[in-house]
This record gives sequence, structure tokens and C-alpha cells, in this order.
Amino acid sequence: MRSVITLTILFIVLAVVGPLLAPHDPTAINIPHRLSAPGDEWLLGTDALGRDILSRLLYGARWSLGLAFLISVIGLCIGTLFGLIAALGGKTADWLVMRTTDTFLAFPELVAAVVIAGVLGAGTGSLIFALCVTGWMRYCRVARGVGLTLKTRGYVIQAKLAGMSALSIARWHYLPALLPSLAVVWTGMFARAILGISALGFLGFGVQPPMPEWGTMLLEARLHMRSTPLQMIWPGLAVVMCVLAINLAGDALRDALAKENNAV
Amino acid sequence: MINIVLGLLLRTAVVLTGTAVATFTLLWLAPGDPALAVAMARYDSIVSTEIIDLVRAEAGFDAGFWPAFRAWVFPLLSGDFGRSAVTGRPVLPDLLSAIAYTVPLALAGLAIGLLISLPLAIIATRNPGGLLDRFAVAIASLGTAIPAYWLGLLLILLFAVKLAWLPAMGTRTPLHILLPALTLGLGVAASLTRIIRSGILEARTQSFLPAFKRRGVIDSTIGKDHIAPHAAIPVITVLGLELAFLLEGAVMVEVIFSRPGLGSFLVNAVEARDFPQVQAVVIVAALLFVTINLLIDLIYRVIDPRIGESNA
Repeated sequence: MRSVITLTILFIVLAVVGPLLAPHDPTAINIPHRLSAPGDEWLLGTDALGRDILSRLLYGARWSLGLAFLISVIGLCIGTLFGLIAALGGKTADWLVMRTTDTFLAFPELVAAVVIAGVLGAGTGSLIFALCVTGWMRYCRVARGVGLTLKTRGYVIQAKLAGMSALSIARWHYLPALLPSLAVVWTGMFARAILGISALGFLGFGVQPPMPEWGTMLLEARLHMRSTPLQMIWPGLAVVMCVLAINLAGDALRDALAKENNAV
Repeated sequence: MINIVLGLLLRTAVVLTGTAVATFTLLWLAPGDPALAVAMARYDSIVSTEIIDLVRAEAGFDAGFWPAFRAWVFPLLSGDFGRSAVTGRPVLPDLLSAIAYTVPLALAGLAIGLLISLPLAIIATRNPGGLLDRFAVAIASLGTAIPAYWLGLLLILLFAVKLAWLPAMGTRTPLHILLPALTLGLGVAASLTRIIRSGILEARTQSFLPAFKRRGVIDSTIGKDHIAPHAAIPVITVLGLELAFLLEGAVMVEVIFSRPGLGSFLVNAVEARDFPQVQAVVIVAALLFVTINLLIDLIYRVIDPRIGESNA
């Protein structure tokens, strides 16, 4: 548990201060030293244009983790809003929201994201839009599910009888009660967003070169897989370690909350 | 029962209609002139405005949103997906041949996933918290964190480049399916192991199990008749989600291994901005997905009598 939190914090710190630690300019091209093996000058070697892989990874953390954070938070806001509307808005609103959610869930996320990002034109903006559109449904379902169980709680009924508006009930009684479950969903979606960003990058629909994003780096490294396989290992390893740390942190959070619920 | 089926079918119809409208709207609002994109893709050079206008009229882009939507949707209802904007050939035969590559891959991936995860989960739950159990959980956590495209590249590196045991690219021989299926299957196995494991552990806590035991029912009968059905319910739910994973995984895996399946079809269509093809893939994917979920909903009701009719 503690090691997982340490690891997660380490990644966040790396994403924030990473560029300060980078030994080289991540976009500086150095053709004479292209595809060089890991050594003293280039700790993890260089890529096909002679750019330092370690520096690119450190700068890439900002893209991968920063964008994933942004996307998962936008999804959280949209999903919670819709979930609350469904839970509080009465039967028609509930039906409309849930059928919309079903529709968005009707295709695999990555397929939808590829279509949206590809059709809108490759770029960071379309990437964010595509992953937000395909990433809010889980929050919505959880917010609605928990919201419906709150409806019959004594304090919510009291608040209603006391004349509180639906908006303030949502703000003061629903949101605090929803936060723990949403936090667990959020860790999962954060990890998924990292995978999504790198998958789209790998397909060429994500962050565009020369920006160093991990998926885009993998796409470039793939061409030189036979001669310099190590070049392909690093970005993948970075993705796996981040996702693993976040997933484990999410599991720990869920277990801790379950324990607390049992104790009450 | 008839009411439930009708309710589920109605829901499916609503979802599919929503999908069709959403897809068409997205492509309609996409930046750039679709007619120009089609003309460029078709003639591969700078084209005159007359040709662009011709393409626009031919594709129905000049008629406005609703007429264009109707012109697309009504033939669709009878299975006519239209013609590719780039090659001018009907979309359906190409789509079917792509599906013919993806379905065996997905099934092989699912089979590998089940073959690994079932025994692993059953062995792991023999002694919960033991060494084997913790090993299984660790492997499963690692497996869900590894992106399919990286795993695929690593497998190519190991089996095709270093050891030269298996072919990697294309679909020439039946052996070519092994590496892509393994890539998909390992990912499936990771998430299935977690679910099956927690399903079995959950089912073990049922309060009637000690009663059977004291009555002298042997362990294997308890396991088969009383634990397995309970553990199956979450597994069946997840199989539905696994399908999404398989489709997503297939997109990546087919691109990596250059297989001409649904995933490559989609990526090529999006890159060429061939909107009829994109629409066709999206609709087929949604149809597949919704049908499977519908079936799962029905299977649920058959194996779990506790799910009442009110849930429809």
C-alpha cells in the first residue's frame, strides 16, 4: 500500500518536474549519433533522429500523465453531472440519460475514439475530445446508482421536506456521499486514459510528432525494432509502470473504503 | 418473458438508432469538405471544382443533413451499406471479408484467455492468500496494465525475431494467427483471472454451503453444483465486457501484425476519410456489441432465477 502510494507520487513528481531533470533537449536532432546504444552520454540511448530517449520519456510524462489527468477529470465532471440529473431529475430524465449512456457504451471505447480523433483530424485537441466523449459513462452509471440509493435516506427526505432545492440537495447531500465511489472509478479511468492516449498515439491519431508522447515514441521505435529493440522497450515500460501503479492505488483505495463501510 | 424480450429489443433499437444518428452527425460536422476529401482520395491529385461538385452531388452531400441521413439510413435497413467513397466498390463484401479475419482471431483470443484464466483462478482460490494466489493476482494486475500493442511487439521480438519460431506479419498460413491470438488472449486472461477468482471467493461465502457440508455432500459436488453457478454470474457479465476488449484489442493487434481484419479496415477507412466505410464499421461494431449484450441479459435470466422480471 505504502509502496504503491510512493510510486504513484513519484510518477506525479516526475511528470511535473521531469523536464527539469532531462539531460538533453527532447527535440534536438543529432543524426551522427542516431540509434546509439545506452551509454554515459545517453542513458537510455537515442532514437532514429538521434534524440535522447530519456529526455523524451521525461517530457513525454507531461503529455501522457497530464493529458490523462485532464481527460479523466473532464469525464468525472460530465459523468457526475449526468448521473445526478438521472438520479434526481425524475423518470423521463432518468430514461433519457440512461439510454444516452447505453448508446455511448454500445461501442468499444477505442473504436469510437479512433473514429472521432481520426475524423476530426489528428491532433491534441481531437485526442482530448475523443477520449472525453468515450470516457464519462462509468462515472454516470456509478453516480446514478449511488444517487438512487440516497433518495430514500432519511436526511435527504428531511432536506426535501425542509424545502431545499434539488440543486442544493445535489451539492450538499449527494456530492459528498458520491465522492468515495467516484474516486475509485476515477483511478480506473485515469489508467485507461493513459492507455487510450498511448494507443491513439501508436495508431498515429494522437499527440503529433515531434512532441514526445509515449505512444508516438513507440510508433517511431517500431520501425527500428530489429536493429535497436531496446528503444521500443522504454516507452512501453513507462506506460506499464504508470498504469500498474495507478491501478494498484485504486485497488487499495477501494479496499480501504470497503473496510470503512464495514466498520460503520 | 415475452415482455422482457420485447423490452430488451426496444432498448436495443433505441441504442442502435442513437448510434446511427451520432455517427452520421460526427461525420457531417467533421472539419474539411468531405467531397474534396473523397475526390482527392479517388483521383490522387489536385482536382477541379467541377469534379468536386460532381462528387458532392453523387454522395448526396448537397442535399442537407436530414435528406442525406435518410439517404444513408433507409438502404442500411435492408443491409445496403453503400459504396466506398474512395474505390467506388460496395462496402459490404469488403466488410464481410474483414470480419472473416477478425472473428477467428477474437475467438482464438477468447479461447486462450479462458484456457489460461480458468485453471489459474481455480488453483489460486484453493488457498486464498497463499503464495500461488498472490502470484496469480500479481500476474493478473500486471497483465491488465500492459497495453496490447506493446505486448504484441514484445512477442514479435521474442518469438519471431530472436527465436524465429513463429511467423508474425500477415495471414499467409494458419500459423500466422498464433502470435496475434496470444497477444489478445494474454490480455483477456489477465482480467478474466481477477473476475473468476473473486467470483469463486464470493460464492464460497454463501451461508448454505456449511449446511451442505455438514449433511455430508462431497466437496466436488458442492463445487460443481453450488459454487460454480454463483461464480458464473459475474464471469458472464465480464465476458460481455471482454468482447469490447477483444474488439479494441483486435484493432491494435491487426495493425501491429498487418492482418486485414476489421481493425485494419477501420484504421484505413479513417485515414482515407472514406466515410461510408467508417459508418459501416461503426454500425457493425455497435450491432455486434449490442447483440452480445442482449444475449447476455437473456442468459442471465435463465441461469439466475433471482433476477426478477421487474429488471427488464
